[in-house]
Amino acid sequence: MYLAFTTNFFPWLTIIVVLPIFAGSLIFFLPHRGNRSIRWYTLCICILELLLMTYTFCYHFQLDDPLIQLVENYQWIKFFDFHWRLGIDGLSIGPILLTGFITTLATLAAWPVTRDSRLFHFLMLAMYSGQIGSFASRDLLLFFIMWELELIPVYLLLSMWGGKKRLYSATKFILYTAGGSVFLLMGVLGVGLYSFNEPTLNFETLANQSYPVALEIIFYIGFFIAFAVKLPIIPLHTWLPDTHGEAHYSTCMLLAGILLKMGAYGLVRINMELLPHAHSIFSPWLIIVGTMQIIYAASTSPSQHNLKKRIAYSSVSHMGFIIIGISSITDTGLNGAILQIISHGFIGAALFFLAGTSYDRIRLAYLDEVGGIAILMPKIFTMFSSFSMASLALPGMSGFVAELIIFFGIITSQKYLLMPKILIIFVMAIGMILTPIYLLSMSRQMFYGYKLFNVPNSYFFDSGPRELFVSISILLPVIGIGIYPDLVLSLSVDRVEVILSNFFYR
Amino acid sequence: MEHTYQYAWIIPFVPLPVPVLIGVGLFLFPTATKNLRRMWAFQSVLLLSIVMILSIDLFIQQLNSSSIYQCIWSWIINNDFSLEFGYLIDPLTSIMSILITTVGILVLIYSDNYMFHDQGYLRFFAYMSLFSTSMLGLVTSSNLIQIYIFWELVGMCSYLLIGFWFTRPIAANACQKAFVTNRVGDFGLLLGILGFYWIIGSFEFRDLFEIFKNLISNNEVNVLFVILCAVLLFAGAVAKSAQFPLHVWLPDAMEGPTPISALIHAATMVAAGIFLVARLFPLFIVIPYIMNFISLIGIITVFLGATLALAQKDIKRGLAYSTMSQLGYMMLALGMGSYRTALFHLITHAYSKALLFLGSGSVIHSMETVVGYSPDKSQNMVLMGGLTKHVPITKTAFLLGTLSLCGIPPLACFWSKDEILNDSWLYSPIFAIIAWSTAGLTAFYMFRIYLLTFEGHFNVHFQNYSGKKSTPFYSISLWGKGGLKTINKGLPLLSLLRINSNESASFFSKKTYQIDENVRKITRPFITIPYFGNNNTYSYPYESDNTMLFSLLVLVLFTLFVGSIGIPFNQEERDLDILSKSLTPSINLLHQNSKNYMDWYEFVKDASFSVSIASFGIFIALFLYKPVYSSLQNLDLINFFVKKIGSKRILWNKIINIIYDWSYNRGYIDAFYTTSLTGGVRGLAELTHFFDRRIIDGITNGVGVISFFVGEGIKYVGGGRISFYLFFYLSFVSIFLLIFYFFYILI
Repeated sequence: MYLAFTTNFFPWLTIIVVLPIFAGSLIFFLPHRGNRSIRWYTLCICILELLLMTYTFCYHFQLDDPLIQLVENYQWIKFFDFHWRLGIDGLSIGPILLTGFITTLATLAAWPVTRDSRLFHFLMLAMYSGQIGSFASRDLLLFFIMWELELIPVYLLLSMWGGKKRLYSATKFILYTAGGSVFLLMGVLGVGLYSFNEPTLNFETLANQSYPVALEIIFYIGFFIAFAVKLPIIPLHTWLPDTHGEAHYSTCMLLAGILLKMGAYGLVRINMELLPHAHSIFSPWLIIVGTMQIIYAASTSPSQHNLKKRIAYSSVSHMGFIIIGISSITDTGLNGAILQIISHGFIGAALFFLAGTSYDRIRLAYLDEVGGIAILMPKIFTMFSSFSMASLALPGMSGFVAELIIFFGIITSQKYLLMPKILIIFVMAIGMILTPIYLLSMSRQMFYGYKLFNVPNSYFFDSGPRELFVSISILLPVIGIGIYPDLVLSLSVDRVEVILSNFFYR
Repeated sequence: MEHTYQYAWIIPFVPLPVPVLIGVGLFLFPTATKNLRRMWAFQSVLLLSIVMILSIDLFIQQLNSSSIYQCIWSWIINNDFSLEFGYLIDPLTSIMSILITTVGILVLIYSDNYMFHDQGYLRFFAYMSLFSTSMLGLVTSSNLIQIYIFWELVGMCSYLLIGFWFTRPIAANACQKAFVTNRVGDFGLLLGILGFYWIIGSFEFRDLFEIFKNLISNNEVNVLFVILCAVLLFAGAVAKSAQFPLHVWLPDAMEGPTPISALIHAATMVAAGIFLVARLFPLFIVIPYIMNFISLIGIITVFLGATLALAQKDIKRGLAYSTMSQLGYMMLALGMGSYRTALFHLITHAYSKALLFLGSGSVIHSMETVVGYSPDKSQNMVLMGGLTKHVPITKTAFLLGTLSLCGIPPLACFWSKDEILNDSWLYSPIFAIIAWSTAGLTAFYMFRIYLLTFEGHFNVHFQNYSGKKSTPFYSISLWGKGGLKTINKGLPLLSLLRINSNESASFFSKKTYQIDENVRKITRPFITIPYFGNNNTYSYPYESDNTMLFSLLVLVLFTLFVGSIGIPFNQEERDLDILSKSLTPSINLLHQNSKNYMDWYEFVKDASFSVSIASFGIFIALFLYKPVYSSLQNLDLINFFVKKIGSKRILWNKIINIIYDWSYNRGYIDAFYTTSLTGGVRGLAELTHFFDRRIIDGITNGVGVISFFVGEGIKYVGGGRISFYLFFYLSFVSIFLLIFYFFYILI
């Protein structure tokens, strides 16, 4: 018993959160030995962090316990009860592991970046910290600070290593997200200062607090706007295609893989857990927005000529499923949404990675210019078609299970009547027809057919071992989850039950 | 006995190692894997044979005990719901798995030779084994979700295999079209599954049937909703089995390699829709509307497929439309409630059509060396003809397949088709008339294909009467399209084969030639054997290798004898044929009563009628397509007929031109879909893109621009001139004072 206490006392989470940014700041003190050493150093840090995370979660985390674990609580600013309060539960463990995995692979994918690589890798590591911090924080203000912390690296990564229109899209990104953050801050302060005795920012105490309905709705809207920008939810989505179209593909991996998921995570963590009444009021509207988003983004996507923008719209479309899952207010639907968070994290990252690598070779971003590159790069072709299949929810891959479970969530939901349910499911399923249209036509335009390039053929080479490693190591979990979804579902099932119990007992 | 059942779960997984290993091998050790080439083919054949033995064993056990075995494992368990995986072994499953494995093995053996020189040899085998895995999974699955999963996987395999030669733009379009069309069906299937889950709360077949029956008999469900769900469920089958509104993908799917067309698009995958309806038969049979709907769709497809097959000049497309028509027969049989007959026709048709496709593959293979590797030419029946001399064995096999499909007595399809036609009389006279006349059409178009391919002279070196070497790129007309009056007045039927007005012919040839150039450029890196091309003018096609012929001959045997499993041998005892015996537990609507009084007299009467219709079709085909110059003695006869109808010639021509146009343009359905649906999606995409760009993004950018101008304005105002600041300061102070003053006065 005593032993267990001592091991629990070790500040695992603090180390996990702080290690990347701390080690990243050491990059600037490394001797000038070229980019190579910096890359390897960053990669080692990432792997170390991933291993540390895995170790901690293996040995110090009980899956069947729905409560917060590995809690750390240090007073930081006494004046308004601000604590360095970390802890994880079944909801956040999945995204944290995803962050570790995707960031490591993104570092590996950023191998060709040579310009100013110290700063680049530092920013990657800083982002790592920020993301894990926001997933692990149990204090509302700390959550906000971490949320802001990871914005700055993204902005810099965009504006310095992006494509031609990078400044435009970086500005757009920062304005959108900063605009969202204003609402987040207002929400945080409002919720924190509501109880008149003293400010409370602790998630646990806040979760048991109840508000007058009008006030709760106002808070809800505030938080919702912030997360809607991040997720993104239409009509606040236009930063995403621009950002993804311009960013370097390693940044895109992080953006699509993790950043978007922070919005979904926040929606569950704050809007569902803290403000259940408002959520059940808003959820029908959210479902409508979600279905519209699926159709809207899926039908916008085919007319995009830029490869990355098309994939970006496909992410927007897939986020619709998360919204629907979250707002179905059923066990099944929420589990499906969490599964979709993880699954899209893998698939989206992989698609951007492959698009980026093929762009690196042919230097043509527009789909009507490329064509017939399957002959030259069969491996990229294979991986790209596998991931398009995963993205269009082919059974046996993770996307299918997530979407299927979300469908069940809607079906079993007690909240809605028969006719609306039929309509919603019908419209969602139309998205199922539109998705293959744009994904397959993209892969057709890029890879199928033939085209004689003016560039000499020796310029093209198939993906090397590094790129192959990245794509295969994303493919394996995608198939693994698709075949045995309990891998991810077992993480979150108990916690989801606790969250949903709020909706029925209060 | 239980022993084998317990291990039956292994059926779908046995062929799985091949694609996995080949995939990993090709990715990580490409050269080593490629060196092993034939080893992989051997293994996939071996594994599939193991499955075949296992499923035959299961079938025999089914015959003896006629029990149904089901086993379930949980897959996803949650508080609210659970998904299960399992397998269900019943007669339907074992019959289907025998069918899949036997055709699969033969096709694998065949394609070892057919694909031998292709760069994608290993990829091909990987895909094929993946397909067998998922198809076997489909037939053994025990609940609807599992069916859906394998349904999609099968569709994906079909996508991959249609797009196998991905450098061909046509193949690229075709595979996308196939996938999207199938996805439309899957959309229906998924919604139907969800709907039935909502009604019943289970995916298991047995629960589904029992609960549903109770619900219907107690009248506890909304009938409209049930019908909607059943129609949606049926939509999946419609897409997969290429039934009427969603059949457009099947002819295009012929862009894939020919063994694929034989296995997937003729014998097994397209039968998945039939399988689904057969599997859910107890569900559908409770709702009479749905049964009528199914038979309606079936009869439309029967007729449409047959008419569209009339004027195809690509040999595989012709066969594809014929497949569609035959699948329509099966659907019709299911809709009429004769479950057994549908399955019987499924089996016989699968073997016959596989034979025909493999035969056509053999023809194409031999043509390719003469005319080149473009599918426009090697599959073009215009260029074939007179192949009897060059490929005699293939010819015999093809002829047997053709006869079987036409319904000529000793061959397989006769038995099953005859039963369907008989049942259709019991069901509805109108449907019966359509079905009977389509049987004649079937005979006509099948013999048209056969005659154009094998009879007459080899058309690549075709010389017409004036001795000029004709261009090989005229399009084939069924009865002549417009050119009938201008060319060869005396010999109208000679022009059947090569009529086209001159300018269009030249235009066409030029265009085709360009395509040819491109194709040659592209296919060269893929095909390692030297390109023969057109320079080799007087070479002749040769017979295919023994490996290919072996598969053909085995299929010939199947075609000859597979009909016997469904023939009622002995009339004193009932249910003696193997098929009915194994399917006894299943429902059989029409035969419940009719079985007893069906005797040889009835049988012979019906059979002779159907055979006579078929032979009438064959006769017409012979009359029209027997090449004139090879048998000049017929000329008088033909001319006699022509003169006789000469008075009504113009009207006649008009009618046949309409039919020809209808058939050649695929009933205008494809064109309609292209303009309406594809155009619609594109338009929608443009519209939303415009909306997204101009309005949603426009607002954002507008805000940005406005703030920019405001900022500039403020910058201008705050330009740093003291006098300006003073002016502002004083003016605001004065305004404030004024306001203050007014307020003061008011108060």
